[in-house]
This record gives sequence, C-alpha cells and structure tokens, in this order.
Amino acid sequence: MAGSDLYTGTLELLILKAVSWGPRHGYAIGRWIRETTSEVLVVQEGALYPALHRLERKGLLSEEWRQSETGRQAKYYELTPTGRTHLRAERKRWEQYSGAVAQALATV
Amino acid sequence: MTKKTFRITDSHPDPKRDVDDEVAFHLEMRTREFIEQGMSAEEARRKAAASFGDVQSIRSDLRADRAHRNDELRRRDWWHGVQMDVQYAFRSLRKNPVFALASIATLALGIGATLAVFTVVNGVLVRPLPYKDPSSIAMVWIAETNKEGVTSNLPLTSGFFNDLQRDSRSFEHLAAFRAWSYLLGGGADDETISGARVSPALFDVLGVRPLLGQPFTREAAVPGGPRVVIISYPLWQRRFGGKASIVGQQVSLSRESFTVVGVMPPGFAFPRGAELPAPFGFGLRTDIWTPLVFDSTDLQNYGTMNLSAVGRRVAAVAPDAAQSEVSSIMRRFLAQVAPQMKLDYRLVPLSDQASGKVRRSLLILLGSVLFLLVIACANVASLLVARATSRQRELAVRAALGAGRGRIARQLVTENLVLASAGAVLGVAISYWATKVMLSLVPGSMPRADDIGLDWRVLSFAAAVTLVAGVIFGVAAAYTVRWTRLSAELHSGGTRTTGGHGRRLGRQLLVTAEVALSLMLLIGAALLTRSFVRLQQVQPGFDPSNLLTVGVSMPIAGRFDPVRDGPKWSASFNQATARINQASGVVAAGAISSLPLSGILEGGGLRITGRAPDPPGQGPHAQYNVVSGNYFRAARVPVIAGRAFDLSDDAPDAASIMVNREFVRKYFPAGTEAVGQTVTPTFTFTSGRLHTIVGVVENVKQVSLDDDPTPQVYVPQSQLSYPGLTFVVRTAGDPLTAVPLLKRELRAVDPTFSTHDVRTMQDVLDHSLERQRFSMTLIGVFATTALVLAIVGLYGVIALIVGQRKREIGVRLALGARPADVVRMVLTEGSRLSLAGVALGVIGALALTRVLGSMLYDVSTTDTVTFVSAALIVLIVSTAAGFGPARRASRVDPTVTLRSD
Repeated sequence: MAGSDLYTGTLELLILKAVSWGPRHGYAIGRWIRETTSEVLVVQEGALYPALHRLERKGLLSEEWRQSETGRQAKYYELTPTGRTHLRAERKRWEQYSGAVAQALATV
Repeated sequence: MTKKTFRITDSHPDPKRDVDDEVAFHLEMRTREFIEQGMSAEEARRKAAASFGDVQSIRSDLRADRAHRNDELRRRDWWHGVQMDVQYAFRSLRKNPVFALASIATLALGIGATLAVFTVVNGVLVRPLPYKDPSSIAMVWIAETNKEGVTSNLPLTSGFFNDLQRDSRSFEHLAAFRAWSYLLGGGADDETISGARVSPALFDVLGVRPLLGQPFTREAAVPGGPRVVIISYPLWQRRFGGKASIVGQQVSLSRESFTVVGVMPPGFAFPRGAELPAPFGFGLRTDIWTPLVFDSTDLQNYGTMNLSAVGRRVAAVAPDAAQSEVSSIMRRFLAQVAPQMKLDYRLVPLSDQASGKVRRSLLILLGSVLFLLVIACANVASLLVARATSRQRELAVRAALGAGRGRIARQLVTENLVLASAGAVLGVAISYWATKVMLSLVPGSMPRADDIGLDWRVLSFAAAVTLVAGVIFGVAAAYTVRWTRLSAELHSGGTRTTGGHGRRLGRQLLVTAEVALSLMLLIGAALLTRSFVRLQQVQPGFDPSNLLTVGVSMPIAGRFDPVRDGPKWSASFNQATARINQASGVVAAGAISSLPLSGILEGGGLRITGRAPDPPGQGPHAQYNVVSGNYFRAARVPVIAGRAFDLSDDAPDAASIMVNREFVRKYFPAGTEAVGQTVTPTFTFTSGRLHTIVGVVENVKQVSLDDDPTPQVYVPQSQLSYPGLTFVVRTAGDPLTAVPLLKRELRAVDPTFSTHDVRTMQDVLDHSLERQRFSMTLIGVFATTALVLAIVGLYGVIALIVGQRKREIGVRLALGARPADVVRMVLTEGSRLSLAGVALGVIGALALTRVLGSMLYDVSTTDTVTFVSAALIVLIVSTAAGFGPARRASRVDPTVTLRSD
C-alpha cells in the first residue's frame, strides 16, 4: 500500500463493492476504482492483487479462470455469500464512520 | 458439499502460472488502455508497468502467498475428504448390515484369536524380563555328559559355586539360590509359603531393589548372621495389610523368628517355578527370600547338587568369552580332582531359561493362529469381491459425477479401514477374554503367566494388523472394480451386474486357499490329538484313581542336618503313615519323597557288589525315592519280584533297597535274579553300607508320561531320613474327603507338621499333561474355526456360481435335464474347488507338520491315518457346503428365468 493514502479496509471495501454486481477480473476492478473515485483515491495498481488474494483466502471472494471480453483467459473474482454479508456490514460501518467524521469536521 | 467430495480437477493450479498470468493480463489490458489514449506501444507498456508498481517484487510476494494458500487448501480438502469418506463408509456399511456384520464378526474372530496368542507370545517371549539389562544375566548350570553321550544340566554344589565366585572375572555379580518353603505364622493361620534361600548378590544380579527397606547385607550370609527375611509385595499386602511398619517387624518362619528387612516391588517373584526345571522344586512364584549361608564344610561340598546360580556379566565381556572362561575354570578343577569326568559349566541366558520350554509350542500356536487370521481375511475379501460386483453401479454413478480412480480407490480403502477397525476393536475385546481362557488351561506351566496382558506391543500389533488388512482389502476391492466398464454400467440398467470371469477366478482361488489352510490346521490338530490320546493311554505305573496326595514337611531349624534330625523325622513320618493307614475310609497310606509325575527327581550313584568299580560319574545311576508306610500298596505300584518294605526294614541295622524293572534290565545281565543282590548307594548319608535288594517294582513315570523308563531305587525313610514327603492315601470314596482326617492325624503325631499342595493324583496326572492339552486344545479350536470359515467361504462361492448360471440352468431344465442332474453339476463344480484345496492342504501339511515333531508322542508327523481322515473330513464337509445352493439350483423355474430376459 506504499504511496497510497487509502487504508487497507477502504481498499478491500471498494474491491467488494466493485464485484457486487457480478464477477470481474482484477484489471476491471482496478479500473472501476480509478474511474468511480475520479482518480482521487490513488491506488497503486500492484497493491490491488495482494488485497484480492487476501479476500479470496478469507472466503469473501471466490476466483475462477474464464474467458474475458477480449478472448483471453482472465481470473475473475466473484462475491461469495459471506462476502456479500461482509460488504453490507462494512458499508454500514463506513457510513457511520464517515458521517461522524464529516459531522465533527462540520462543527469546526 | 457433495460436489466437493467428487471434485476431480485440481482447483489449485501452479501458483507461479496463476500469478504470472494474472499480472500479465493486467499489464496487457493497461497497455492497451494507454495505446487507446494515443501512446506508442513502447511507451504504453512502460507506463502500464510503472503504474502497477514494482512488478518483480509484487509478483514474487504473490507467488509465495499463493503457494502457501494452496498447501492450506489441499490439506483442508484432504481432511474434509477423509471425514466424508469415513461418514460415507459408515453409511454404506449401515446400508448393508448383513455384509457389515458378517465381515466384522469374521475379522473380530480372526484378529481376536491372533491377538490372544500374540498377547501370550509377547508376555512370555517378547517382553523383556523385568530385570535391569536382562540380556547380560545368565543362569549357570553344570553340564554333565553321561555314558550314552547325553548332556544334562544339573544344579551346582556349594563347592562349585564357591570356585566360580572366587575364580571367575566375567561376572559383576554371581548369586546362588535354592528352593526353601517356609511355614509362615505361629498358630492357626499357618501357611506354607514358597521361598528361596539366596545369596545377597541376587538382588544385584537382577538389578532390582526392595520397594521398602534394604537388600541383604553380605553379613547376613555368614554363619551365625542375623535371621532376616525379605518378603514379596503380594505377601506383604495379603498377610501384613501393606503397612510400611513391616520393615523391622519380627515374623515366625518355620517356628523361628526372623526380622523383615525389605519388601520387594510388585511383580518380583524370582525364581518362578515355571521358568526353571521342575526338579528344583520352586513354587509357582517365590514370596519369601532369606540369606543363603555357607559354612566351611559347604565350601568343600562337590557332591550335593542343590544350588541354582545366576550371574550378571561384566558389560565388556561377551557371552562366548564368559562361557569359555567358566569352562576353563572347570577344566582346571577336573584336571586336579577327576580328569575322567565329563563336566562343564554351562551358561544359559536368563530369557532362554525362562521361555525355553514353551518357545516352540508358542511359536507353533502363533503360526496356526495366523493361518486362521489369513482365512478370516480371505473370507472377508471374498465377501468384498461379491459386494464390489453389486456396487459396480453405485461406483459408476460416482465416477460419472466426476470422481477419479484415485478418489474412488481412496474411498474403498477408507471403507475397509473402517471395517477392519471395527473388527479390531471387537477383536481386542475378544482377545482380552480369550487370553484369560488360554492361560487358565495352563495354570502353573506358563512362564511369566501371572502378569501377561495387553500392552503397547499388543496394541501396536493390533493396529498393524488392522492397517494391513484394511489397506489390502481396499486395494483389492479397488482392483476388482471394472474401471473401463463403469460408464457402460449406467446404460446397462444394472440388472445383470454379475462377476466377471477374472473376479470369479479370484474368489475361487481364495476359497481353495482357505480349504487348504484349514486342512493343514486340522491335520496339525489331529496329530496333536492322536498323540495326546496315545499319551493318556500310557500306563503311568500306578493307579491314579481315588488317590489323595498331600505334601507334608517338618520345619528345619537352622542348618539342614539329617544326621542330627533324621531319627526324629523318620519316627514322625513313620508314625503318621501308620496311623493314617489304620484310619477308617483309608485303604492304604504311604509317603514318598518324589511324587510320580510331579517332575521332582533326585539322583545318585550306586555300586553293584561283585562288579569292577566304574570310573567316578560313569557307574550305575538311579533316581532315588525315600518311602514311608504302605506307599506301594497305596499307589498300586505292582511289586513284580520279592516284597515291599515292611516293619522289618525299620530295624536299626536294616539295610534294604527296592529297585524298578528298568534298574534290573539296565544293570543286571538278563536272567539274573535281582532280589538278594547287594548294592552300595553313594547318595545316603551313611555311604558305604551294603543294601540288599528286597523287591522289584514296575517302572513309574516320574517326570511325564512320555518319559522313557529310568532306573529307580527306593529306600525306607527309617534308613534315609527326609524332612518332607508327599503323603499318598488311597481312599474308598472321594479322596478329598480324607483331607481333614489326614490333617488331624498329622497334628496328633506332631503339631509342627505343615501341609501344602493338597491334590488328587488325577490332578497331578492332568497337570503333567497341561502343555500338551494346551497346544492340542488351541490348535483344535483354531482348526475347527478355520474349517467353519472355509466352508462358509466355499458356500458363498458356490451360491454365487449358481446365481450367475441361473439362466443356463433354466435352459437345461427346460431342455429336459432332471433336478438331480443339476444338483450333480453344482456339486461337481464345488468339489473341484475342495479337491484342489485338499490336495494343496495335504502338500502343505507334509511340508509343515515336521515342526510338530518334538511335540508328538508315538505319532509320526506324516501319520497316514491322520492325513487321510482329516482330508476326508474336509472333503465331505466342503462337498456338503454345496448342497444348499445345488438344491436351490435344481428348483429353478425355467419359465421364470427365461422370461425375465
């Protein structure tokens, strides 16, 4: 995560969100994060994969090699049921957290 | 979950490729993105790599991580698979309870019997002796080679022992010991306890220290030393309540006061009677130890062989070196004293001494029971083959769902391991009980029997048997699956799944082998039985019916001194036998020093008057017995010439002797009238007196029924006094009812008499046959069980053949064959197998029964009658096994079988 101002939990949360509409490969996940955060959150792309593999080992993602849209084999990540539950919970926590921070900052 | 069990494609591909491909894909896509933004290919690639970060290091981190993850997953999958397999195995065994129960019961029987024998073998032969470094402990005997060139081990004399102790450098410690019974207690609770007088060094030789108190000091073994005693743990518990205050306490031993100085740890009972030659008179276990004291005359005694000896070799000295050293000591001694004598010291490792007598028969038993185990396993294997046939479809379904061969094979191995484990658990329970039954057949003749039990060796053996059986079954079951046809199986609808030719042949071979093995066992059992029957028919030389035997002894105060105490012993014993003779209900009563068949013997030399003197040790030699009262009439030993002893032989100047038939045959020229001849025994305390032969009696078996007759002589108690004789009382009714009377009379004569070993003569006779009965009974049980198993196996195979040929039989019947023809056809099929089995069995038995040679009495190891009758029995029984299936076959309804197709 060197050079990133994203904390681990945030990256993982974004990854889970990225695959919440269906299986995606790593490149697509990275691209989605770049685009939706308007490149505000700079992710060094190489940091994405350790996070993906970590999530897979935790059982939040499952992986499968299949043909990509370009016709090449790519590894797709899919949200597992545990992953989906986790995402919901984390998202709620994030909203509480960011809300609290925003509120705190607003009062200054 | 189900999907996971059957997963066959590896979900954990090579970590390097997985990571490399993933990273490469990313970089390629990113490069493409930059190219679309208008960069040159070269520039785009550089940009893609840069935005990825340190590609090399990220990639290698990912690879390592991945490899680790894969290992973890594989392990988890494997365990999961095992769990599934075990669950599945239980389910599939439950689904087929008849098969499961039959297999488990058969295996339990085989494993149980094998374990029981192994428990005894382990307890007697394998388990190390409970002494420190037992391999360096050896017994010391004197080996004497007689005129016929036969060498026998004799006990040492105190002189020989002293020589060894003084001259030998091979032993760290050397100890002598001899059996010595004590009367423990001073009143109504008197009890004769088997004890031993031992050198203080005995405890050093064995490397065992008392649990409480101290071993004997050297000072305890000098004349006039303190009267001290060490007692055994069980005796301490039983008689002294296990109180620690016993050490230092006074106890009464044979009417004398001794101080208890120690209590040995539990399990220590050296010497145990079953481990030493019977004539030395050691009890089943020794419970009392007192110091063995030598005085100056003992050190010069080279005549009275009454000491056993045991030594601990110096660690650096090899057994051979020790043997040659002691031999040279004996050579030096003989060179000075008696160059013509053929004596040597002989060292026997303690472990051989303990187990020597039973090693062979135990190993034969182990071999026999392994046959039984093999037969049991063959039966289960045969069941499994049959089951594999009917499971073909189930396996086909699993294969179709994606299970690979390896996976299915693993499943089958697991299933059979579960089966074998169930059999083994039950088997261990059976063996626990069976060991007890086995040992109860040989009370007192199995060395180390009192603490035989399950230990880690037995349990590891059980585990090994289980593992081997389970894996072999599993592999065999997997082997019989017709892999190539698994897919075809699903299409066939499964109604005609019958065993293929190869598999049927496999089962036939199994069954043939079973028949052969069981015949071999049966022949072995029959040979032993025949030998046993012959042995029982042997005339022991006396009439064992209605005969009571009771060991009676007088306490010996201090030194054994027959010259001082002899007259009192003689008077008391003669008076006691005379009184009991006249008691009502008693037909005749007498007493003898060495009861027939008790194994106790004492031997000595004689000189026959009028013959040139023989060199020492080479002259006539006989077992001698001291008798009192009407011994010959009581035991019904026939007097074949002259007369039995009477009151005239008790006169102070009488010098009479009786001899047996063998003595006359061996030492007098044919036709000589032995009665009236004179001999000079050298074993009496008043050596040198001429004794006149007054009578000749029939030969009596002294050690065992299969003895060859040996020369025996009898001397009256009044001429050769003994402090301990066995009373022999012939009664009108049940001999044991005479016990109170005998005890009452003994007390009336002398209250210091003590009794031990109250048995009927029939018991003594039975006891002498114990080992033969043990081998015969066990091998008989194994053989019968094996035969039953083999027949069950045979029945199964014939039934299978009939099942497979139902259609053919239907056709035959439809074409006009009579049911009798069908029966004949099936029986022929079955008898082909049994004939092959019988032929193989006879060949095997011819090769193997020679191991029984030394255990057989008057029966050849290739006894024709035994072989033929055993073979006939197996043939008849195994042919009969075919009757059931054959009759069923003959009742096949052709219309049903033909239409069903």
